[in-house]
Amino acid sequence: MIAIPGRVSKLSVCLVLLALFSPAESATHDHAQQFKTERRKVRIPVKDFKLIDQNGKPFELENLSRKVLVISFSYTSCADVCPLITAAARQVQSGLTASERANVHLLTITTDPEIDSPRILAAYAKRYGAEFSNWSFLTGPEVALKKVWKNFGVRVSRKGRGIVEHTPLTAVMDRQRQLRFVYIGPSPDPMVILADMRALLAER
Amino acid sequence: MLAVFVGCGRNERMDALYAQRCFNCHGATGHGDGPLAVALPVRPPDFRDTVQKKSNSQIRKAITEGAGVMPAFGPVLSAAEINDMLQMVRFLSREGRDLAWWEKFDTLIVAHCSVPWETVLGYDQPPAQDEP
Repeated sequence: MIAIPGRVSKLSVCLVLLALFSPAESATHDHAQQFKTERRKVRIPVKDFKLIDQNGKPFELENLSRKVLVISFSYTSCADVCPLITAAARQVQSGLTASERANVHLLTITTDPEIDSPRILAAYAKRYGAEFSNWSFLTGPEVALKKVWKNFGVRVSRKGRGIVEHTPLTAVMDRQRQLRFVYIGPSPDPMVILADMRALLAER
Repeated sequence: MLAVFVGCGRNERMDALYAQRCFNCHGATGHGDGPLAVALPVRPPDFRDTVQKKSNSQIRKAITEGAGVMPAFGPVLSAAEINDMLQMVRFLSREGRDLAWWEKFDTLIVAHCSVPWETVLGYDQPPAQDEP
């Protein structure tokens, strides 16, 4: 497990305070700070897991062996940084070449299984223009999801109906099922993710 | 529907809901300049430009089902909360109108606000229980 500091709600409070009290002339600098996302190189084995995809069908990580995975954690009613994280994932998918599409799969794993049924996840994915050929949106029983969250070091805390604090994590996993890059923050750079993903694709 | 066409102004419940679900992207005044707006792939609209052109059912649909990167709030909010959000959006979209424009509607607004709409529309009733 990796220990990842920071939660969405704390970030949100910082964003609001910065927006309210920062002088206008420093807006560009402040925006860069607000959306700063930390990139780390890691080597963390990921355990197999079984969840349910946006079609209501069983999903098993093991079935994606030999693929590089781009994994992010979001929930559909999030009015905080999840839209930025999912939009970045969409840009990653758009940036894949035809041959890369066959070797790369994206996963969005919910942090709010109470709300995020397969049907709701499918509607969410469609709003982002996600193509399901190599992008799965996953939910499942809370007990199964808790194990996944823990494996990825994602802290999740439900604050109300449709309000969940969680670590804003995006990660890239290699073909040996090891996490190799993690991006902690609201705005992972799709170009950086694509470059890291391509480095892993080039590994034999 | 008249109940949501003319709002009675903002109240604390609407403000709290807006702060929790809308502020980050739409901004405090609905101009599309919330703290997250600059990082979104599409800038949120300024309500003053877009909301006046939309019907209540169109706005309600966007709130309930989402639109683009905007979340769908239908699964997490009650009908009363969605109604509050709609009224808040309408209210913000009208900010900046001059007083003469508002005064034309004084009588209508007073009449509207004297009606207990939540009771009339059944928003304060408990949800119906399914038959076993």
